[in-house]
Amino acid sequence: MSARIFRPGEQVDFVVVGSGAAGGVIARELSQAGHTVLVFEQGPRLGADVFAHHDELKVHYLHGITNDPVTNPQTFRDDPSRQARQLDHANPLVYARLVGGSSVHFTANYWRFHEVDFHEHSLLGDIPGADFADWPISYQELEPYYSKVEWEVGVSGLAAASPFDPPRQKPYPMPPLPVKSSGVLFELGARKLGLHPFPAPLAITSQVYRGRPACMHCGFCGGYGCEARAKSSSVWTVIPEAEATGRCEVRSASYVYHVDTNARGRVTGVHYFDAARRSHFQPARAVVLSANGSETPRLLLNSASNRFPDGLANSSGFVGKHLMFNQGAGVYAQFEHELNEYKSVQATRVLHDFYEVDPKRGYYGGGGIDARSSATPAAWASAEGGELPRWGAALKQRLEGYTRTMLCQGHTTSLPVATNSVSIDPQLKDAWGIPAIRVTYKDHPDDLKFAQFMQDRSEEIMQAAGAVRTWRTAVEHRRGGVHLLGTCRMGNDPSRSVIDKYHRTHDVPNLFLCDGSSFVTSGRGQPTMTIQALAFRAAHHIGEFARRNEI
Amino acid sequence: MDTPESSRRGFLQSGGALLSAGWIAAHWPAIARSAEEARAQLSTPVSMTAPPFRRFEFLQPLEALDVEAIAEQIVPSGATPGAREAGAIHFIDHSLVTVFDWQAAHFRAGLADFQHTFAQAHSGSAFGHAAPALQLDYLRGVDHTPFFALVRQLTLLGMFTLPEYGGNYRQQGWKLLGYVDVHVFSPPFGYYDARYTGFVPYPTTTERHS
Repeated sequence: MSARIFRPGEQVDFVVVGSGAAGGVIARELSQAGHTVLVFEQGPRLGADVFAHHDELKVHYLHGITNDPVTNPQTFRDDPSRQARQLDHANPLVYARLVGGSSVHFTANYWRFHEVDFHEHSLLGDIPGADFADWPISYQELEPYYSKVEWEVGVSGLAAASPFDPPRQKPYPMPPLPVKSSGVLFELGARKLGLHPFPAPLAITSQVYRGRPACMHCGFCGGYGCEARAKSSSVWTVIPEAEATGRCEVRSASYVYHVDTNARGRVTGVHYFDAARRSHFQPARAVVLSANGSETPRLLLNSASNRFPDGLANSSGFVGKHLMFNQGAGVYAQFEHELNEYKSVQATRVLHDFYEVDPKRGYYGGGGIDARSSATPAAWASAEGGELPRWGAALKQRLEGYTRTMLCQGHTTSLPVATNSVSIDPQLKDAWGIPAIRVTYKDHPDDLKFAQFMQDRSEEIMQAAGAVRTWRTAVEHRRGGVHLLGTCRMGNDPSRSVIDKYHRTHDVPNLFLCDGSSFVTSGRGQPTMTIQALAFRAAHHIGEFARRNEI
Repeated sequence: MDTPESSRRGFLQSGGALLSAGWIAAHWPAIARSAEEARAQLSTPVSMTAPPFRRFEFLQPLEALDVEAIAEQIVPSGATPGAREAGAIHFIDHSLVTVFDWQAAHFRAGLADFQHTFAQAHSGSAFGHAAPALQLDYLRGVDHTPFFALVRQLTLLGMFTLPEYGGNYRQQGWKLLGYVDVHVFSPPFGYYDARYTGFVPYPTTTERHS
C-alpha cells in the first residue's frame, strides 16, 4: 500500500502534530490499528542523500535542519522578573525541523530509564526550590514498550552488560557497534578505578536490520542526518511503516499554529499554514500533539479561548512549566597515539555507577558518563569555555592533537523548577506572525553541583587511562538545550499536571500529548528512548480508547 | 510570495557558489606588497602553499590586511598549516557577503573600532603592519571583545568547513587536524581499539542475569 493522501478538509480519526521520535511511533501504531492518521510536520521531507554532503557550515552553523532563529525566533531570560531578549542569532531551544524531527539529528544514545527514575520523590522527599514529583507510571509498566523500541525501531547493545541495568524481558536485537579507541581508553581507566563501563546502547544499526544497512562509520552522526539510514530515525523507520498501511499521510512543510475547540470543550481539529503560507483548517476526531517540549506547550498557550483563557488544557497552570534540559560536563583528553574519533558513532562505552543519588553528597543528582568522539572538525576546533584555549599557540597545539583527543562527558539530571518555563513572548512573533516562545531558565544549584561531581569523575577516568593532558569543559548555567523536557508533565492530580497517565489532557477528552513535555523528571541525560517507549504505550492506550469509543 | 521555506533554502544555497579567482587588481599593488611583507615576517616552511590572492568581495584592502593578521595570530603558521595557508581570509570575506551577510555591518563596525583604537595607541600605524610580538600582545588585551570572537569564529570556520565555501584551501585546515574526508570506514579506527581484546562481563552481572 502507498501513503494515503487525504482530500482537503476531509476529517481524519487522528491528527498528529510532529513527525519526530514520538509522533512517528504514534502514527505507526494508530494507523496499523486501523485508524486514519494525518501527521503534520513544519519542516521539509529530506532524503538520506542530502546528508551525503558532510556540510558542517550549512547543517550546524546555518541551522540547515533546525529551527532557524530568523524565521522561528525565541527569547531568553534567566530571571523571571526581567524582560527576555533574543540571544545572538541563536535559539535557546533547538530541535530538528524536518520529517523525523530530532530523531534525525540526535546522537542516538538509547539508555533506558532505571526503576528509580519513576519514584525518586517517594525515596528522597521534597527538594527545596524544585517541584519534585513521582511519575504516575512505573518502570515495570513501561518495560514492554522499551523492548518494543529496541526491536521495532532498532537498537544495538549488550543486554545485562551493566550491573546497574534495570530488568528486561528481551536482549537487544543487534550487537553493540564496534568499540572505538575512546571507548577502549574509557573502559581501561574506569575499570582501574573499580567502575563498570559497558557497551553503549545506540539506536544505530550494527548489522542489516529491517531493510536498513549497517552503519558505515562515516562519523557525521550526532547533529546530522544519516546518509546510510543506519540511524534509527523516525523518517527511516516508523514513518514509512505508517504510510505503508494506506491510512497515514505525512504532510510536510505544514505548520500547525492553533488547536481548535468547540462549545463543548472538545477539540475539532487544527489550523495550519501550508508551504505557501495559506491557512487551512483540518478537522479531526482527536488530536495528538508530539511537537516536542517547546512547541507542544507553545501550541497549547497560543490556542487560548474564552473557554480556556490561560491556554488549552491549562487549568493546572502547568503548561510550559518545569522545563528541563539535562546538565552535564566533562573533559577533553589527549593521548599518546591516534584515536581518530572523527570516525564512526559518537559514543561506544558508558557507565552508570553514579546513576542513583547518594544522599551523602548533600545534593541531588545522578547520571552517566560516556566516552565520545571529540566531534566534527569545525565544531571541535571552535569549542571554548572551561580550560580550552581560544587562540594562539595553545589553540594550535590543541588542533594538532585532533586525532589523539577524545571527550569524556557526564550526562546528568535537571530538577523541575516552576519558574523554568516555556511561555509566550509578549511582543515577538515568528515569520508567520505567530507569537514566539519565551524561555525562562536557571539551573537549580544541585544541577550544577552534580555536573561538577561528574566532571571530576570524568577527569579521574581519563587520568587513569593514561591521558597526556586534559581540558575541563565549563560547568555553567544552561542557556538552552536540545533535550526539551517536562513542560506538560503527566500526573494523577489534575491540579498538578497537564496529562493523565494515558497522555490524555485532564481538561480535553480528545486531546493527547506525548513527547519530552510529558516527563515528570529529567532522567539522566538521554531522553529519546523513554520518549519513544512512552509513545508506544500512549498509542496503545489511545487506540484502545478509540476502539471502545471512549474518546 | 517568497515563503520562509524557499527563502531559507536560497539563503543556504547562496553559500555554495565558488569564489571568483584572480590576483588582486592592478591598482592595489602597494597593498598587496604590504600584505606580503607582513607574511614574510612569519617563518613558514616552503612546503606549505598559501592560496593565491583572490579579489575581495567585502573587505577593503586595509581591512583585509588587518583581519588576516588577526586570523594568523588566532591559528599561527608553523610546522603545520595555519589560518594563512588555509586561506581563512577568503572564507571570511566571502561569507560576509553570503552566508553571514547579516553580520557584515557588525563586523565592519567592530573592525573600524579595532583599527582606530590600535592606531591611536601606535602612532597611526596599521595592526597588520605591526611586528608579530606586538600584535600578539595587543590581541591579549582585546580577545574578549565581540569583534575578536567573531573573527575567531570565522577564522576557524574558514579553516575547517568545506572548501567550497571559500576557505580550507587545498584542505590544509583538515591536514592540520589529520582529518580525512572519507565516508566509509572500517574498524579498527585507531591505535587503541586495534589492540582491544573484547568486553569482559562483570561477575555480578552474570550472576544476576544468568
